Amino acid sequence: MTALDKKNTILVIDDEESLRDSCSQIIVKEGYRAETAGDGLAGFAKIQELQPDLVLIDLKMPGQSGFEVLDRIKEFDPNIISIVITGYATVESAVEAMKKGAYDFLPKPFSPDQLRIIIKRGLERRRLILETDSLRREKKLMEENFITMVSHQLRSPLGTIAQYFEVILGGMAGEVGPKQKEMLSKARDRLEKLMELINDWLDLARMNRGQIVDRFKPLSLKKILENIVEFMLPSAQAENLSIELVPYSGDDSAEGDDETLTQVFSNLISNAIKYNKPGGRIKVFLEEKETSIAVNVEDTGIGILEEHLPLIFDQFFRVKSVDGKKSKGTGLGLSIAKKIVEAHNGTIQVTSEVGKGSTFTVFLPKMR
Amino acid sequence: MEKAKILVIDDDPDFVDAITPILQSAQYGVISAANPAQGKEKILAEKPDLILLDIMMDSLFDGFSLCNDIKTAKEFKDVKDTPVIFISAVKEMTGARFQFQGEEQGLIGPDDYIDKPVKPEDLIARVEKLLKK
Repeated sequence: MTALDKKNTILVIDDEESLRDSCSQIIVKEGYRAETAGDGLAGFAKIQELQPDLVLIDLKMPGQSGFEVLDRIKEFDPNIISIVITGYATVESAVEAMKKGAYDFLPKPFSPDQLRIIIKRGLERRRLILETDSLRREKKLMEENFITMVSHQLRSPLGTIAQYFEVILGGMAGEVGPKQKEMLSKARDRLEKLMELINDWLDLARMNRGQIVDRFKPLSLKKILENIVEFMLPSAQAENLSIELVPYSGDDSAEGDDETLTQVFSNLISNAIKYNKPGGRIKVFLEEKETSIAVNVEDTGIGILEEHLPLIFDQFFRVKSVDGKKSKGTGLGLSIAKKIVEAHNGTIQVTSEVGKGSTFTVFLPKMR
Repeated sequence: MEKAKILVIDDDPDFVDAITPILQSAQYGVISAANPAQGKEKILAEKPDLILLDIMMDSLFDGFSLCNDIKTAKEFKDVKDTPVIFISAVKEMTGARFQFQGEEQGLIGPDDYIDKPVKPEDLIARVEKLLKK
């Protein structure tokens, strides 16, 4: 049961017993639960214990004053509605009470009807606050779950569809004619593109700086690059390209997140493969600079037009190849890479010459 | 005649349906389980020759811990040498080979990985390689 459905609890804090009793009677008659306290200290103890929806509070009491109690309520739970009741109603004290978070002000003496109305209004306000609060919490939770949700709900059915295509195209569900095969292949290719796009888009949504920084630990850049180069070797060879990681014995330590940095360098190297020329080469090398370590990925590919250089880290920008070949990828890879590098307090740069090749350089701050 | 019995553990029955003909085309018998708990039962009852385990089932951890259990837990000591292949859609997340990160927590990883969607020749080649051992 949530706070919204239960019987509302109203606490009366006043040093006058007769007033406490008469208020209680009215409150109970309205169908609420009434609680009372004779001074500020006892009142606040009851607030902590009962977490009332609404508090009627006398400003002038021996011991802790109403103002102090207001302060403490605000600190304890600002969603509790406080209504000030006082026999010494002045504009100043009213303003002061409002500043301290009181919702309303009721000068003594007041009629039962006045009290009923003000309580009703206060509780209505409380209901709205609580509803907004729970909606806000729900929204936050949804946002947090969104990425996980999307990734599961979109990716897994697409993966299964792709799996069916593989089986049919592999001839394992019976014979497939050439025309059918051609169309199914096209469908599969489009599906693969779509899956890539979803993955990249999710990456971009997930690349929140704080999360990357949370996973920082000391790393060996050389080791990361060795793994990637080893992994990429077959796809480079398939395109008849040579790939080399230049031996390096300088400082290669950096503070960072293994997973996302791997993603950056993989992206750069796979671009170097994608946009290379047949028989071309890819050189990956480290350099020690004054305050940073530079990771370079150099290719002998088609190069990038000078006017395109400032755009290539933009989302969805893709270099069109000179021979009009359809460009591959989603156009998000480099913008993801840039985001990751920046989360590492690094920078990413590119130099290029059309027809000769490009070099992408990632500068990461040295550990010391 | 079946060459060997393969257990596919995946929460998506259609994925199991799609992958079954691939394995059958290479004369493997296929049994399946829809979650780790059911998977455990089938491992003990059916003693498969190889296990294909989807690691995106409910959480990454489920797949990892099930794999670790197979390799190390007492209840699985008779079947602990059964090869396990992780099927994952995780590769794209890192842009590179999916790395088993459970080792840091002392978990034992799988014998091989394969990415979703599975390429038929690739799957059969990997299965054959592990079964030969």
